[in-house]
This record gives sequence, structure tokens and C-alpha cells, in this order.
Amino acid sequence: MSGTAATLKKPQAALSRPVLIGAAIVAALAVAVAIGGKVIAQQIVSGLMLGAIYMTVAMAFTLTIGVLNFLNFTIPTLFMLTGMVAWGLVHRGFLSFAGGWAWLLALVIGVAVTVVASLIVERFTFRYLKTKHGDATEHAIPLVSSLGFLLIFEHLVLIAMGSEAQRFQIPFKADIHFFGLVLGGAQLLSLALAVAIVAVLTYVLKHTRMGRALRTIAESPDTASLLGVDVTRIVPVVFVLTGLLAGVAGALFTINYGDVSPFMGDHVGTKAIAAMVLGGLGSIWGAIAGGLLVGLTETLSIHYFGGDSVQMVVWGLLLAVIILRPQGLFGTASIGKGKM
Amino acid sequence: MPAEPMLRVSHVVKRFGGLTVADDVSFDVPRGAKMALIGPNGAGKTTMFNLISGVYPIDGGEISLDGQVIDALPARKRIGVGLSRSFQNIRLMPHLTVIENVMLGQHVQATSLASLLAPVGWQRGGRWRRMAEERLRQAGIDVDPDSAVSGLPYGVRKKIEVVRALMSGPRLLMLDEPAAGLNPRETAELSAFLKGIAEDGLTLLVVEHDMSFVHDLCEQTVVLNFGRLIYDGPTKGVQDDEAVREAYLGTRRVATAEGAGRAA
Amino acid sequence: MSGYMAGIVAILCINLIFAYAIFVTAAAGQLNLGGAGFQAIGAYAAAYASSVLMQPVWITIPAAMAITALVGFLISFPVLRTRGVYMVLATFAFAEVVAGFLLRSTTFGGAIGMVVPDHVGVPVLIACAVGVTLLVFYLMATRVGLAMRAIHDDEPVSTIMGVNVRAVQVATFTLAGALAGLSGALYAHHFSFVEAQYFNALLSIYVLLFVLIGGTQTAWGPLVGSLFFTLIPELLRVGGSWRYVVFGVAIVLMMAIRPEGIVTRQLVARLSPRNWLTRRKTVLGERHAG
Repeated sequence: MSGTAATLKKPQAALSRPVLIGAAIVAALAVAVAIGGKVIAQQIVSGLMLGAIYMTVAMAFTLTIGVLNFLNFTIPTLFMLTGMVAWGLVHRGFLSFAGGWAWLLALVIGVAVTVVASLIVERFTFRYLKTKHGDATEHAIPLVSSLGFLLIFEHLVLIAMGSEAQRFQIPFKADIHFFGLVLGGAQLLSLALAVAIVAVLTYVLKHTRMGRALRTIAESPDTASLLGVDVTRIVPVVFVLTGLLAGVAGALFTINYGDVSPFMGDHVGTKAIAAMVLGGLGSIWGAIAGGLLVGLTETLSIHYFGGDSVQMVVWGLLLAVIILRPQGLFGTASIGKGKM
Repeated sequence: MPAEPMLRVSHVVKRFGGLTVADDVSFDVPRGAKMALIGPNGAGKTTMFNLISGVYPIDGGEISLDGQVIDALPARKRIGVGLSRSFQNIRLMPHLTVIENVMLGQHVQATSLASLLAPVGWQRGGRWRRMAEERLRQAGIDVDPDSAVSGLPYGVRKKIEVVRALMSGPRLLMLDEPAAGLNPRETAELSAFLKGIAEDGLTLLVVEHDMSFVHDLCEQTVVLNFGRLIYDGPTKGVQDDEAVREAYLGTRRVATAEGAGRAA
Repeated sequence: MSGYMAGIVAILCINLIFAYAIFVTAAAGQLNLGGAGFQAIGAYAAAYASSVLMQPVWITIPAAMAITALVGFLISFPVLRTRGVYMVLATFAFAEVVAGFLLRSTTFGGAIGMVVPDHVGVPVLIACAVGVTLLVFYLMATRVGLAMRAIHDDEPVSTIMGVNVRAVQVATFTLAGALAGLSGALYAHHFSFVEAQYFNALLSIYVLLFVLIGGTQTAWGPLVGSLFFTLIPELLRVGGSWRYVVFGVAIVLMMAIRPEGIVTRQLVARLSPRNWLTRRKTVLGERHAG
């Protein structure tokens, strides 16, 4: 369980990683633009935008795996919940008093609802569960419960709001032209939000008491309780962060693409899992790098080979990574290897 | 030529990172002996068991059972050459019943495909089950063989683990703190039971803290301290040995001083 | 039998065989979240053998099983290198690769799917389901079954007890492949049509839920789990999405109340009439002795 801890413990290593990732992206951009010109540069920009969303969802996955060794299958529906709740609020006219800012208020409420939903999941997946024997399938119990919640949330939304995809309008029309590239205002806003949340999360993990407690649990739950960390009080914090990350990602997606549907989380969720595995389970920087990489791979492979191949390419790559290099790009081999 | 010992541990070395947990340890367990392996906490007793039973590979030296070098054998094959063990913390299978746990101990004896594919779970009066029930009775375990192990008292589970280890028909039986957590009556029963099976020619190697149990059962003792062998001889002489006294008394003196300090 | 009932019985039989495929690995402690991938290979193998190679059913179904058994055997080596969350993800990824391949492949009809000419009726499905159920019950009563359950509970100690853990795990993956292939082939021949979209992640999730909700300790588990999942929504007569909400609530409550599944080894022991009699005797004996 030392993945998160190892990654976050060494500040010099953690500092070098954003630099490394940034440099890699800039280099890739430069090479691609030199070869493919503006069309490719535009693809790369869209890939990074998509990657920012994958990265945020992947961080939610990696946090629960790193701290709780729990593959939380509700994350895709939490992601969807934000978008659908926001759309529902605007569509039904509940927020008409807010005028031009209704979209923003709706998204904020959407994220709040998502956080509450995540806490409900915590109640039933962790609070009432005590592992008794430590055998192989016992550790899958939270995973099974989270699959139950996946069904509940998805279908409650279907009942309340139907299965159609819906438009979610936001008042950003202005496109910004930057060295001949077209950047949507919504895209820029979502990118800024993604960067902000990553920065806040890494700061929280590194510098606050809560962050230190989380890292201790990730390293060794037994030691953590010996050191006086109240594990039962930390678990809800993980779920709040999970809900927050998934919710913000959902809001980003909604702002960015202007479309919401009850199934919007399925595709993003599986890509985020792929991103997490690629980056290494339990590693925050792995999730960031993996998310951007998967986003880029997806847009570029659609551009070059067409949409059908994406699923096979991404998952084939993922299968190879799990088997040949289970620690991914940044994780450590020990995490997630034990019984679930 | 003297007879081969049942177990020969010869210059065994094991390191975990920078920590040497077995430092050139050599001792013999003669055929038919009842030998104790003792030492202060953290001396490397359980590690020695894990090395002999193949849980960890050794970094140097040699381990042989009845003349056959076994340290290159994978763990699962060592039970087949006659080496069986129990565990310090009870490691019965929680979802298997009493009889199923005991019958798991027979696994190495079911070598043919036919015996692997016979429905032992349905054969109430079958040979395997009768053997297992017989052993349970001999050990004085009077519980419903079809009950779950997880609900049974500690002492009973401890004894079931010894019985499970016996089911493979071992030549050397290694028990890791078999008397820990047993009450005096259960300890005496266990000692009598083990003496009985030793008379049938079984060699015993026992890690134990309970010295009266050791004195009662084992005529020979080896003592480990910080991964080194510090004593190898009769159990009677162990308390008079200088090195052993130092290893144990060192801690006892501290304890006495603490006690005196608190009293004052 | 009415058409409606026949439909339920057919899908119950196919799901039951599929659930036993996932059960045999889960009983030995390995979680397979890629069941749909194995089932899809079986369904498409049978469909291809039937519609393109024009083979009769008694060849297509065994051939499909042989192919999926081989796939299970081969995939077990890389998959068994992984543990815990990684194994769940690896098997999940395997199923996604299979679905992605089938969607793209022109040989197998791509997104359009394949029509399967030979029809297999409900009686055959029932016979197969009963056969597989008896086979798994038998397997769990053997020493191999005992070893599987031991591995599930404690892998290192099983090794010390002389169990060839790797061999048992490879064998269960191979058997799981064959059973999933059978369920896929029966699906193809009964519904006369296969499409890649059916064998999606949700199917893999459902079948693993059948097994974990039913219980992995005895062969009763998948039987009870499949019945529970197939019949409860029918009995509740709730429509559309509410059915899935009820499902979800049932899953969450079940995990909170009975985390080891509906059927545990202890429950089976308690319900067995023979054991009940012997226990009475033992209790009485103890009372007299005490």
C-alpha cells in the first residue's frame, strides 16, 4: 500500500514529475506540430482537454485504491450525477432566479449532491463492514456494494430524467485564437478548473494534517491506527474527496461538451480506469499523466484510424501494462497486489 | 557410519534486507527425537520454521531431511517428503468444517487422479473420512466434525491444527507454539498426545515458550538468539548454560529493575 | 410452457451455466470480471461454425467449448501473475479487448452481428444446466474442490499442505472457459443471433454478482444467486428502471447483512438433515458426559 505514500513522501520526486510531464507534453506538441501542422496541434489540444477530465476521474479512482484498496465502481455514476442534476435543475426552472448564472449554480449544487451521494456509498460499503476472515472474496464486498450503487444511481436518474442525451447550455461563446489554434472559452475554463483541483489536492495531501493521515493509512492501516490516526474518521474524507473529484470532472465535461446523459459516465469511467492503470495504482501523478496520455491517444487514434479501434487499442495496451508492468508509469508494484 | 539425523540444518543463512535473521545456524534433530527450539522474542524461531518448510528460500547453507537435501524443493513438495508443520497463529481454513480442515492435511497422500476426483465430501463412511475422524478422536477432540472451525474454542482449534499437520503422515512434525493459549489441563493432554505419536517413530521439533511443557515433552533443546544458535544440548542443562542465561536473564534483569523502580 | 415462461427458463439456464463458470474460479479465490469475454468467444465460435462452416449443433457446441477452454487455459498464465485489484482489472480488460475485436471484425459480422441457423430448444438448455450443476456439485465434493476452497481461504497454507496452487488455478480457469463457452454457444443457438454489444461490461458485472451474492463457498451459491437475480424482478413485477433500482438495493443490503453471500458452508451444514441428526446426538452426548 505504499504507492501513494511513496509518491507523495518524496517532495523532490513529486516536484520533478509535473515538470517531467509538462516537458513531455510540450515536446510531443512541438514534434507533432512540426510534422502534422495545425490540424494535429488542434487534435492535441482536444486530446489534452479530454485528458484533463479523464485525469480528474482517474484521481478519484486512484485515491480510493491507494488509501482503501477499493475499486469504487460508483465513480462513473457520481460523475454522471453532477451533470444530470445540474441539467435537471436548469431544465425544470428551479434556478431561474439566478438569471445568467443559473448554469454555474446548477453545477455547484450538482457537485454538492454528488458529494452527499458518495457519503451514502461510504455508509454502506465501509461503515457497516468488518472483514472477518481475510479470505479472497471477502475483500470484494465493497466492490460488490459499489456495483449495487452504480445500478441504483444510474436507474434513479433514468427514472427521474429519461434516457435521452440533453443539451446543457453555457454562455461562453467566445473562442480564443492562440497561434492559429482555436480554443473554446468553455474548454479553457474547464482546463483551468482541472489544474486548480489537482493543485489543491496535491497541496492538501502534502501539507495538511488530513493529508498526512491519508498518506499514513495508504502506507499501512495498522501503523496508522497505532499512531493514533482514527481510520474510521478518515474513510468519509476519502469519499468526500472522491465525490468532489468525480463531481468536478462531471461539471468539466458538461461545460466542455455541453451534453449530458445518464450514460455519460460509462465511457469516461472506463477510460479513467485505463488512465489509472497506465499511471500506476495509487499514484496521483500517475493518474495525471495517465489521464492526459489516454486523452491524447484517444483523439489521435480517432483522427488516424477511426473511432472503432479506440476500445481495442486502449484496453489491449492496458492488459499488457497490467501483466508486464503492473506498477504502471509511476506506481509501486506492491499496491493493490494483496488481497482486495 | 552414524545414522543420518532426521533433520540437518547446516550453516543456514537468511537475510531480510540488511537484517540477518538466521546467521550460520547449524543443528541436527536426531531420528525419533523430541526437540525444542526456544529463544527470546524475535530470536528467529518462526523464521527458522519458515526456512525449513520452504516459505522463504535460504540465502546460504543446506537443509536436509533424512539425508535428502530439501532446501531447493518448493514449499508444496516438502510435505510430500515427510515434513509437516503447524502455525504460530492458527491458520485453519475459516470456511472449511473441522473434518474438511483435517482432510486437507491428507492432500499429499491422494496422489492418484482417482483419489483426487473421488467425492470425499459425500463419502460419510469413506476411508479418508474414517482416518480423519479416528485421528480427531485420538487427539481427544470431541466436537461435531461437520461444525465450522471458526466458532470453536481456541484450544480446540489449536489441537485441530496439530491433527491436520499429522494427517500427511510426516516423518518430522514441526509445531509452532502448540501450547500457547491452552489451559494447564489442555497442555498436559497435548503433551501426552504428542508423546504417544512420538512413540510411533515420529520426530518432533517444537517452538515453545512454556518451559514446563518443554521440560515435560522434549529431551533436547536448541536455543536461538538474534538469529544465532547459542545452545544445543539436553533440555536439563539449558537453564545452567551461560549464554542462554545471558540471553534470557538480560531481559529479565531489566524487567526486575523496572518492577523494583515501580515498587519504589 | 408459455412463451413467456420458456423465455425466463432459457435465460435462467444460460445464466446458471455462465455463473458456474465464474464460480469455479471465485471458489478458488480468483475474481473474474471478464466473463462476457469468454461467453462472447463461445457464442461467436458456435455462430461461425454453424453459419459459415455449416456444422451441426453437436459439433459447434463442443468446438466452442474447446476453443474457450483453450482461451481460458492460455489467458490464465498472464492473469495469474496478477492479484487482487489487478486481476479484476486484467480480466475486465480482456473482455473489453474481445468485445472491441468482435465489433471491428468483418469475419464475425462486426456491429451487425451474426445469424445462427440451427436452433436449440429449452429442453436442451435445461439438460445442459442440470448437467453443469451436477458436475460442479461433484467437483466441489472432491479433493480438488477441497483444495480450491482451501486456496480461497489461505493460499500460503494451502501450498504448505502440499496443494499445487498454480495447477488448481489454471485448471479452474480452463474449466471456467469451457463452461462460459458452453453458455455462449447455447445462447447463440437458442436466440439464433449474436451481437457483440450484448457481451458488454455490464454482463460481466451481473454474472459476478450472481456468484458473489449467491455465495462462493458451496456449489449452491450460483444456483441461488441466479434464481434470485432472474426471478426476483419477475416476482416483484416492477417495470423498467425500478427493477434495477430494486436490484441495486438488494445487492447493497445483501452485502451489509450477509457479506459472504446467501448460501454459506455453515448454512448448508445446518440445513442438511443428516448433519442435523448427528449434531443432535453430539449435543446430547456432550450433555450426558458433562
